[in-house]
Amino acid sequence: MPIRALPKAPPSLHILGPTVFLVALGVGMGESYMWPRLVLVFGPDIRWLFMVGVTLQAFVLLEMARYAMATGESIFFGAARVFKPLMWFFYVAAILIYIWPGHLSAGAAAFEEITGIPWQATACVALVFVGVLFSMLSVIYNFLEKLLGLLIGFLVVGTSIIAAIVGSWDDLAQTISGMFAFGFLPDKALSEAWFPILVGSIAFAGPSGMQQMWYTLQLRDSGAGMGAHIPKIRGLRSADEAESMPSRGYMFDTENPEELQKWKGWRKWVTFDALLLFWGITMLVTISFTVLAMSAARENPDVAGLIEGGDREAALKAMSDAFASAGSPILGTLFFAFIALIGLNATLGLFDSFSRGQADMTYYFIPGAKRFSMSRLYAGFLWGVITFGILILLFGPADGPAGILDILAFLSTFAMGAYCIVLLLVNNKLLPKPIRPGPIRNVIIGFGAVFYLGMLFYSLVRFGVVVG
Amino acid sequence: MTVTDSAKVRQLAEFSVPAASVGIAAGLVAGGLAAFVGRPIGWALVTGLGLAIPLALFGAGYAVLLALGRIPAGVFAPAAVYWAIGFPLALLAHSVVTEWTVAGTPGLPAEPWKFLAFRALLSMGFAIGFIWMHEQLGRHWWPRILDHNLYARWVVAQYVELADSLAERKAATDRHRSKRRERTA
Repeated sequence: MPIRALPKAPPSLHILGPTVFLVALGVGMGESYMWPRLVLVFGPDIRWLFMVGVTLQAFVLLEMARYAMATGESIFFGAARVFKPLMWFFYVAAILIYIWPGHLSAGAAAFEEITGIPWQATACVALVFVGVLFSMLSVIYNFLEKLLGLLIGFLVVGTSIIAAIVGSWDDLAQTISGMFAFGFLPDKALSEAWFPILVGSIAFAGPSGMQQMWYTLQLRDSGAGMGAHIPKIRGLRSADEAESMPSRGYMFDTENPEELQKWKGWRKWVTFDALLLFWGITMLVTISFTVLAMSAARENPDVAGLIEGGDREAALKAMSDAFASAGSPILGTLFFAFIALIGLNATLGLFDSFSRGQADMTYYFIPGAKRFSMSRLYAGFLWGVITFGILILLFGPADGPAGILDILAFLSTFAMGAYCIVLLLVNNKLLPKPIRPGPIRNVIIGFGAVFYLGMLFYSLVRFGVVVG
Repeated sequence: MTVTDSAKVRQLAEFSVPAASVGIAAGLVAGGLAAFVGRPIGWALVTGLGLAIPLALFGAGYAVLLALGRIPAGVFAPAAVYWAIGFPLALLAHSVVTEWTVAGTPGLPAEPWKFLAFRALLSMGFAIGFIWMHEQLGRHWWPRILDHNLYARWVVAQYVELADSLAERKAATDRHRSKRRERTA
């Protein structure tokens, strides 16, 4: 790779960073529904597994950032450098997993509860709105970072207030102490009915599927590390102003002590992101939602049955009703407003991330694609997924055909184990020695690969079920 | 230039607009949604204000401490300590007002110390969201009042290190771009 200067890192104390995308994608149904459900079924002590899952994801974030900040390349490019079929696996898996608009349903259904507008109509309008908005923007990253930052700030403030109004000391104490009940695993959790659900919930603790891989693209567009030397993706309206992408990333002089000092500054910067923004906010939101689920179940015993039963929409409605009847009628509506907000965050983040990832791999690895700019490819994938999404919302199954749901769930969890292996390879084989990860980091990421793939295949072999 | 006490108070109030707005927004959303779902307007208004006013006042208090240099800008720990006290008290006020609206007489919640301790623990979440939104709103508001507000000028100066660093990053990108343009020209 050509050598260029590494820009100086900003102070580690900052509020916004590319991690807002990961938080927007990561704080979703896992935090607001799946884990509160497990707490009601197995008790708060089951939350230690969530703690392990999110902590592992924080280390994955740091290692994803290592490669992206050192080279300005995405992790997909890194995978292709190691073994090109790996990159093609991620290319195909992303299309299969993320082209279905099912992720819109929970947020749009919550909006329907508040307004009465049918969720399909809201979802279709939201899809077109996202497409037009992203096409009109000059630099997409800058706007989205600010918008998602504001929305997530509002979500954190709002869920804290609702949990403070309806929760109790005991709920919170149990929720927090459960995070440290390491090793708690009741027999029921290992049953055919619940183990696949547990595996799915662990995979959904924080960002799931390929969301961490997309983070490397957002990190690059934020100008972090050597990403400063790579042009930004522009909206379709300003695509003509986009500069051409270099054919590869850049490396800084790792023999130069000054450059290494700057590198340490960048690592400090991204560590702040991983610990406070990613780990902290994900934990806070899920603690708030768990407290909400526990207090709703206390108010109305039927809620516990509905949540345990697994009908997500009925359970969320019952939780909302429980809050409304607890002496604060507005809280039920507020609860739905925050579920809708989570859906909006996820939609904005997911459409941007998917289009970014596919455009990156297409631009660099599909022959002839370079004659279109990266910004035009981004717009192509964005409008492609929007058009397909609207057609499916109107005429097909939103989550994907029932026959392939298991395959999609398998691919999503498999991708997480696979990217841990890719991380070990790219960071240890492609980066110069002074900036490679230490042995402890490697062991943790290696554990991640065994953790995700081991649970996935155990579930498959033992019960014949992928993940729930 | 000497600044009179009333001018100082006016400037502090002006500087505190973003911080107070976060509290007001929280209350307005609560009240607005109550009205939206068909609750009596008076009920919605009282509930919203019962939450908005205490949170806005505590938010303004945080901004005043920031403006007077008692707490550093953008640092989480002092905000966490501040809201560990302010957040439970604001919710206590809200609880008293709600009780007043429902029962007709104001009253403390059952086990008030437990009530406060629980909210103090949850305050960390609120503190992160507050500091996050405060800076988002502040970065739009403070530049507008910079020319006549000493406190805004002083607080913005605290962010200069960050701004310098970002500018340097941008300059590195621009230098690289212009070099490439020269090469392609």
